[in-house]
Amino acid sequence: MKTKVVIIGAGMVGASIAFHLTRLGEKDVFILEKSYVSSGSTGRCAGGIRQQWSTRNNVRLAMRSVEWFKRMKEDTCMDVEYKQGGYLILSFDEKEAEEFAENVKMQKEEGLEVEVLTPKQVKRRFPYVNVEGVKLATFCPTDGHANPHLANFAYIRRSVENGARLFTKTEVKEIDVSNGTVKGVWTNAGYIECEVVINAAGPWSKDVGEMVGIDLPTESYRHQILVTEPLENMMDPMIISFSGNFYIRQTRHGSFLMGQGDKDERPGINRKVTAKFLLEMVNKMSRRFPFLRNLRVIRQWSGEYNMSPDAQPIVGLSENVSGYFYAVGFSGHGFMVAPAVGEAIAEWIVFGKPKSVDVSQLSLERFKGKEFLKERSVV
Amino acid sequence: MKNKKVDFLVVGGGPAGLSAALEAGKRGLKVLLVDEGVRLGGQLVKQTHKFFGHEGTYASVRGFEIAKILVKELKKCKNIEAKTMTSVIGIYEDGVLAWDRKANEVFRIESEYTLIATGASEKYIAFENNDLPGIYGAGAVQTLMNQFGVLPGENFLIIGSGNIGLIVAYQLIQAGANVKAIVEITDKVGGYVVHLNKIRRLGVPVLLKHTIVRALGNSRVEGAVIAEVDESYNVIPGTEKELVVDTICLAVGLAPSIELAAMAGAEVIYIPELGGYIVRRDEFMRTSVPNLFVAGDVSGIEEATTAMLEGKIVGLTVSSEKKKMNLLGEIKALLRELEDFRRGPVSERVRRGLSKMGIKTVSGGFRTEVQRSKGPIGKLRAVIECPQPIPCNPCETVCAFGAISTGGNINGIPWVDYDKCTGCGLCALKCPGLAIFMVKEEVEKKEAIVGIPYELLPVPEEGEKVLGTDRDGKPVCEAVVEKVVKSKDKTHLVYLRVPLKYVDTVRGFVVSPREKYEFVCRCEEVTVQDIEKAIDEGYTDYEELRRYLRIGMGPCGGRTCRLLTLMILARKTGKRMEDLSPGTFRPPTIPVPFNAFLEGDKN
Repeated sequence: MKTKVVIIGAGMVGASIAFHLTRLGEKDVFILEKSYVSSGSTGRCAGGIRQQWSTRNNVRLAMRSVEWFKRMKEDTCMDVEYKQGGYLILSFDEKEAEEFAENVKMQKEEGLEVEVLTPKQVKRRFPYVNVEGVKLATFCPTDGHANPHLANFAYIRRSVENGARLFTKTEVKEIDVSNGTVKGVWTNAGYIECEVVINAAGPWSKDVGEMVGIDLPTESYRHQILVTEPLENMMDPMIISFSGNFYIRQTRHGSFLMGQGDKDERPGINRKVTAKFLLEMVNKMSRRFPFLRNLRVIRQWSGEYNMSPDAQPIVGLSENVSGYFYAVGFSGHGFMVAPAVGEAIAEWIVFGKPKSVDVSQLSLERFKGKEFLKERSVV
Repeated sequence: MKNKKVDFLVVGGGPAGLSAALEAGKRGLKVLLVDEGVRLGGQLVKQTHKFFGHEGTYASVRGFEIAKILVKELKKCKNIEAKTMTSVIGIYEDGVLAWDRKANEVFRIESEYTLIATGASEKYIAFENNDLPGIYGAGAVQTLMNQFGVLPGENFLIIGSGNIGLIVAYQLIQAGANVKAIVEITDKVGGYVVHLNKIRRLGVPVLLKHTIVRALGNSRVEGAVIAEVDESYNVIPGTEKELVVDTICLAVGLAPSIELAAMAGAEVIYIPELGGYIVRRDEFMRTSVPNLFVAGDVSGIEEATTAMLEGKIVGLTVSSEKKKMNLLGEIKALLRELEDFRRGPVSERVRRGLSKMGIKTVSGGFRTEVQRSKGPIGKLRAVIECPQPIPCNPCETVCAFGAISTGGNINGIPWVDYDKCTGCGLCALKCPGLAIFMVKEEVEKKEAIVGIPYELLPVPEEGEKVLGTDRDGKPVCEAVVEKVVKSKDKTHLVYLRVPLKYVDTVRGFVVSPREKYEFVCRCEEVTVQDIEKAIDEGYTDYEELRRYLRIGMGPCGGRTCRLLTLMILARKTGKRMEDLSPGTFRPPTIPVPFNAFLEGDKN
């Protein structure tokens, strides 16, 4: 078989690249997925879409992505349950609160609508939050959330309708490179000749890097999440805290999704879940959101954050292997920036360079020796 | 024996009795109102349709709501005592005895004035097997269905096409039953044209010159034989037809309940136009017995509206005598109102009956022509399909722009002034006959908007595809719901987008019949059809289907649906079960509340 572009991974990032490529007229696209659509990080994430970041790169990517989320229903003919209910970020730490002030200043410079709230204001607007211990909060009304499965399916489906081909249960085993140029890929279903390969393999990004001899500085860490039974919709924003170490949102279906980070996790793929997570979450969240106490936990699961050293995505074209792109290391926020990243890579392939988004500072080269700015706003 | 001494005894708590009690109570008379029923309101409590008339007699208000209004008024009046479940058992020479069935106690009533407002009872007809269970009077069907929420059958045959037969048919359809046919022995429908049109739009056949021959069935009704009749109402042999029905509803007229008045010695006369044996009375509703009055159906079968007016006349007359008040002006105004109500063709029989009793009536003096103009093409506007003069004018009074007029008399046929009509649709929502439609042609698009008053469930959603039906309920075209204006009183206005050539044809619609659901995932209500459709769309992994449709994401965690889904997947994709991935199993195995984990205060 022969195609021009092979995308490895049918998560939100791969789907978005395919969507934008086919939208721009490049229909010679294969999407190779070793499992099923949305089987990796996308299908396990909470679906938050946030623009409030501590680095300009992330703010810009997220703001551009919001433009695409807003039109996703029209673009794909699928209602992906996108809702701009805002993001409320709570700080329980004086030092962090000071950093928030700086973040807000930078975010406003980037044109983002965001405000600082006192605990009293939080209580008035979101009476179901226990504000005890809250030092300060920030709120961005254009942040929001969507159903990650549906968004993932929507982009895949539209790409396929536009001419791309999807191969699930198709795992790339080797990448054929000769004279420093991508020639094709070997899969469990045979050889596919191609000119361009894109590593959008999420948790497996490092392995797919090694296939062409590139050492991607990414590591996957397990993150756990749980969901409750549904209630009538009552919580519009996604509410998160870095110092409080939690996030929570209510889906359109009515259930509440929530999770936290765990510093003790070791790198690697581990899809098991722990009682520790359940107990910690239940205790922490019942204090912060007392209404949850009478609600029942339905299910818990886990997925991976594919972490980069600075918690910012690594996006670019390899300097050593011609035709090899990477869009990896999204560090837990790939879903929400995927539309803009996909747009950049698609434009890169079709026009020779990204036109709508500047991703020049996201290349792998930024880690060469010099210091880099770490994204701090990660749960 | 207990003795109650009052100025004014009212027997019967229907529209006539309530109205009389209120007028007298408001003027300081000590009133006792007794009623047999569990609730006051008489027949009103089982009427779910909107009443005709004008605003002063609660036009466009549903019958049971009128009862609520009157009873609320009654409760405000301290000198009216109302007793339900209480039957007057006799009016004797030496007093009135009543039986309080709640307390199981008979007591004596002494009253200076008495009103008999006992209404009417349903007529019955004889036919073979008419003792089978499943044969009801229309009133009984309404009591069961509208008052107690019990539908006595699924498939109905209705005998009689007077207003009651037509209304019951409509209410049965609202309640979800099928009406197979209405048979009418004469050659024309007895009820109002607008009531007839309502059920015709729903596709109910009205068979004129037909009657019931026999009911079929052994232990209950399983069918009915109907047949055509000749001029003398005899069955024409060979015209019999069999209908499969489980319930037969008789709506063959009412007979005034004159027993009490007759016992009291009031003169009874036979006037077929007024329902047969009735109590003779003068224009102030006075019988031949001093201080004994009648009002409502007991003095001639008519309408709730006229019953209320007659009741008021009695209340005022009694008050003026007892309290020596001059109320003649008010009484005369009510008499004029009655006279106006009875001017039209639908009161022709009543007028003939009343004149036999020596009560003068007038007729005519209202507009009888139907408006020719249907208004300017392309403008959103009201089209009124109310071709029969009936005493009713809410369309006129509700219009804020003065665009509708009945021409100066309540019986007149309403016309629209299309210069003034803004297309607001209020008249369509208000019309008790559901006889006003909104239309707008969109000529360039070759489409039109038709607004239809709608009182059935389910109310369609905007964007829903339905079948537009004509005035006989026959589907004529596909239509899309453009807009739904929901109204608190449950008459909704559904705007359909139809092909332009059907603008004058579509007057109803049928919502696509409910699909037969086969549920796979009961927690999240996912059906076999949903899963098959998703597989066709390309979701061929259990986990993909789960993420797309929410299968197994509910409280049961997939206990029921996982295997079923995999079986459908195997069948549709031709794969073997053992080659499919059964997906992940995730804790907790059963839903556990947060507070089960908490120590100490759990709330």
